[in-house]
Amino acid sequence: MVFVKAQKSKAYSKRFQVKFKRRREGKTDYRARIRLINQDKNKYNTPKYRFVVRFTNKDIIAQIISASIAGDMVLAAAYAHELPSYGLEVGLTNYAAAYCTGLLLARRVLKMLEMDDEYQGNVEATGEDFSVEPAESRRPFRALLDVGLIKTTTGNRVFGALKGALDGGLDIPHSDKRFAGFSKDNKQLDVEVHRKYIFGGHVAAYMSTLVEDEPEKYQSHFSEYIKRGIEADGIEEMYKKVHAAIRADPSVKKSEKQPPKEHKR
Amino acid sequence: MPAGHGLRSRTRDLFSRPFRKKGYIPLSTYLKTYKIGDYVDIKVNGAVHKGMPHKFYHGRTGRVWNVTKRAIGVEVNKQVGNRIIRKRIHVRVEHVQQSRCTEEFRLRKVKNDQLKAEAKAKGEIISTKRQPKGPKPGFMVEGATLETVTPIPYDVVNDLKGGY
Repeated sequence: MVFVKAQKSKAYSKRFQVKFKRRREGKTDYRARIRLINQDKNKYNTPKYRFVVRFTNKDIIAQIISASIAGDMVLAAAYAHELPSYGLEVGLTNYAAAYCTGLLLARRVLKMLEMDDEYQGNVEATGEDFSVEPAESRRPFRALLDVGLIKTTTGNRVFGALKGALDGGLDIPHSDKRFAGFSKDNKQLDVEVHRKYIFGGHVAAYMSTLVEDEPEKYQSHFSEYIKRGIEADGIEEMYKKVHAAIRADPSVKKSEKQPPKEHKR
Repeated sequence: MPAGHGLRSRTRDLFSRPFRKKGYIPLSTYLKTYKIGDYVDIKVNGAVHKGMPHKFYHGRTGRVWNVTKRAIGVEVNKQVGNRIIRKRIHVRVEHVQQSRCTEEFRLRKVKNDQLKAEAKAKGEIISTKRQPKGPKPGFMVEGATLETVTPIPYDVVNDLKGGY
């Protein structure tokens, strides 16, 4: 049944003010964007970098971006779909994968700017709060975290990526209040719990409970893990190897795939 | 009650945002840079309440003399009594636009330098001064026929209406 009442008159359309395009699409929070981009005028053209982390259903995107009138310029980017070449093939959107992506981006940027020897960051991922110390010659690379439109609850994967970047050697102002493992009662970060999350401990624990209680669900849920022979005990080892591989060679790997000869359409 | 003379008195329309341009201001205003010596126009943006200049300065153009974290110092001429004072005010960047008053001059400077360099290479002397528009040149009138007009003799009988 169509009700004739709900109609937009010509007068309504004439007076309607559209919001900015990206606000209409629901992709940009302009209130936050203004505050992130605004550079002190007495710093003139010095770029202000933001560490952008976005999650899709199957991928994680981490970028270092500076703003300009022509459009935002991306300095470096790291995606979770690059992690298979470092040895991580499953669970590409969990907290541990976010940590790896942040770490990959940080090492990539530092290598690009030739600062990767000075700023090693935290090689041993312990989960405790780590901030970069300024070295003698150059000050550390500073970026501001841009979460986008997500709710910043404690233990969000965005902060996993943030921890990865911090341990990689970037200088990002932060507090440990939102890392996984921060308890509101003690007002303290439980380092052990955070370390567990960084190495996929929460995934491993769920895997072991499923194997005991519901084997069928384990088969369906973790089928990709089973296919590659990844067990609950081996997960931490796997992530340690991935971190080492990332630190060894963070450069972008060109894929050998040719662009499709005919367009799909 | 008498009319007040407060800071923002009589600015109901002056400081209001234009039709269908309310709300967040475009980000390019924050990304522009200003150097000391630039010319800027002051145009108040009613959406931003901090760092607003007084309504007198709305529409004035001045030179930048200071750049701070979020604001710009602008030097504007103001007539006070029988003299003009150079007033120095600080204005937030949202209320300031880059002025185009020197644009024509700068373009002409570049073009003249280029013309002079070309002339020097060829060895000829040119003048790059601007000339005012002179009188229009003379021209021949086309398609004109001569028609001689003479007055007709006065005819009393026909010209006096009615009787005489």
